Amino acid sequence: MEQPSLLPLLDERLPLTEEKVAEAARLAGVPLAQAWGVVAYYPRYRGLPQGRLLVDDPVARARGFSRLREEAEGTYPPLGLEALSPVYLRFTEKGRFLEWEGRWVPFREFRLPFALGRGHGLLPPEPAPTLAQYLALGGLGGLRAWKGGLLDPGKVLKAVEEAGLLGRGGAAFPTHVKMRAVAQGQAPKYLVVNADESEPGNFKDRFLLEHHPFLVLEGALLAALAVGASRVYLYVREEFEAAILGLERAIRELEEAGFLFVPTEVFRSGGLYICGEETALLESMEGKRAEPRLKPPFPVERGLWGRPTLVQNVETLANLPLLLREGPEAWRRKEPKLFSISGDVARPGLYELPLGTPLGEALRRAGGEPEALQAVLLGGAAGVFTRDWDLPLAYGGRLPLGAGAIVAFGKDVDLWEVLEGLAHFFQEESCGKCFPCPLGTAVQVGMVRRRERDPSLLQDLAATLRGSLCGLGQSAFWAYRSLLEVEGAA
Amino acid sequence: MRLKVNGKEVEAKEGALLLEVAPVPTLCHHPHTETRGVCRLCLVEVNGRLAPACATEVREGMEVRTDTEGLKALRRTLLEWLALTTDLSLAPGLLGLMAAYGAEPGRWKEAPSRRGRPPIRDNPFFLRDYAKCVNCRRCVDACGDGIMGVYALTLAGRGLQAHPTTPLDRPLPETPCVFCGNCVQVCPTGALRPLALEVG
Ligand code: SF4
Ligand code: SF4
Ligand code: SF4
Ligand code: FES
Repeated sequence: MEQPSLLPLLDERLPLTEEKVAEAARLAGVPLAQAWGVVAYYPRYRGLPQGRLLVDDPVARARGFSRLREEAEGTYPPLGLEALSPVYLRFTEKGRFLEWEGRWVPFREFRLPFALGRGHGLLPPEPAPTLAQYLALGGLGGLRAWKGGLLDPGKVLKAVEEAGLLGRGGAAFPTHVKMRAVAQGQAPKYLVVNADESEPGNFKDRFLLEHHPFLVLEGALLAALAVGASRVYLYVREEFEAAILGLERAIRELEEAGFLFVPTEVFRSGGLYICGEETALLESMEGKRAEPRLKPPFPVERGLWGRPTLVQNVETLANLPLLLREGPEAWRRKEPKLFSISGDVARPGLYELPLGTPLGEALRRAGGEPEALQAVLLGGAAGVFTRDWDLPLAYGGRLPLGAGAIVAFGKDVDLWEVLEGLAHFFQEESCGKCFPCPLGTAVQVGMVRRRERDPSLLQDLAATLRGSLCGLGQSAFWAYRSLLEVEGAA
Repeated sequence: MRLKVNGKEVEAKEGALLLEVAPVPTLCHHPHTETRGVCRLCLVEVNGRLAPACATEVREGMEVRTDTEGLKALRRTLLEWLALTTDLSLAPGLLGLMAAYGAEPGRWKEAPSRRGRPPIRDNPFFLRDYAKCVNCRRCVDACGDGIMGVYALTLAGRGLQAHPTTPLDRPLPETPCVFCGNCVQVCPTGALRPLALEVG
């Protein structure tokens, strides 16, 4: 990093002692109090769980969770493995492994099977872990055009605006508005790629990072050039070890080939759901507890180290090379979006579909039969249960798409058990900064456990959580409320 | 500049906080520390959107509502949840608000509690009784960026477990604490209180 940052300094010193924490604080130039607050915040500094762990995602919850849980010594939060769920992990002194096809595969070697990806526009027709393979797929056109003087900031911004590209991380904010705001800010400015995918049910960014690092990097570099960022940081979920190694290799290859126009590096995430919230993410990069900031000011004005910062999701940036190659008009006609489809469908996986595709059709593409399903969870934990099969999967519609997770549940599934998993997840992941969220998510766990259906309690729970400081608390009751609606309709 | 609060026109100075013109309860905000926007008791609706009155500046033409049904439900519920989880016996302000909003904590049946935390008596001057702590962070800010710049306090844990502590969880005399008493002064719940007031 340009400035010493506490998290990497602590990571280098694992396992920690009091002396090592004090040393990291000195090197980072922060009070010991701050360093201790950080150590007492992120799970990995307190020591990770050991033994056999069940990945506790909504699919595992639907598959007889208590029975699956008996086979494990503990649980681990969702890891983008929903299409393969239920999955067990092994955490030992030798490292972290995933039980896969009868073997223990180290995290640094495990990638989602390439066959899970279905699509040929945004999704690669074959994996491209090397620059040669990326070039063979027709890649690097955008950066070449830049080098040849055929592209400039104005042209990139114009294309993004004409395409109407909306952020793919869940908020669906117009990308060009954020880009222009940063472009107008004073240097130094930064681009942070939000690759901290941790919304249950989503595995699109993980897949892109693991199989198409150059596409992500090309998109990031084009965005950085367009807004005048002096540095690119890829904030990657630290468990995605194979993706991180692949990205670091790809960065080196781009540099050797003379295409790394902006210095770029990987930052290992803090390892919590809240780290994906853009301001909490910036706090963790600055060596603090990943607690969301009050907005305004927004990161485009005061972001990393107080400088104008563009924070963009992986999939959003991966669209840039495609959008520039095809032109905004053509891109817009099919507006590709990645949907992570899992649960009770015959072919769970990652599907590239045009925005606006009806939910029922998306399910059928994945070998699901809507009429045979009880409901889907749309969007993730911060999502809703629905059985509206005609719902067009588009932004700004009746229901939020989130980042595009669709988890299907058959008629036999106890949806309350799935909801219990989500309620537990929110309670565990609440950062505790504001009042409604840690209190409300804890109260909610009790309500869900006793199958509380009292509308006045639910209404007050919603009215209060809605007042939380960030999206985590604000959305924590959506799934609960929607389950009661689905029950009423059934 | 002029704005409307609950339908009435009011005048306000440029740069003033909504708090100064809107009648709302507060808990985390303190003029001497940087804490604000945390407790959410002071939320108001500004042109239909929720905003903390302690962290929002007035703007010309704003339409502010302080007492919608939703806001009343929010304050009542928050107070109920605080009472359910935390010992508020030395927080008369909060007890008064609970009465005013008709709070009935019992309707939520159960919640994890912070009441079991044992009081920490590690110095001759004040007690740290975190069973009464609502985690408003005023003390941490008073000791750090807000007033003292001493950094003898920080936060540990997440979610409902989050609470103030010292660096390395050491007794206060082994930290940079200078026993200025600022943290005690700003604590709104009696979680930090002078030992001079304890009998026996
Ligand atoms: S809503 Fe939850 S996660 Fe967000 S700031 Fe408040 S406590 Fe933290
Ligand atoms: S008494 Fe100690 S802990 Fe409290 S504000 Fe003063 S220096 Fe900080
Ligand atoms: S001890 Fe007092 S001032 Fe400090 S966080 Fe708790 S309630 Fe707030
Ligand atoms: S007083 Fe405004 S949020 Fe606490």
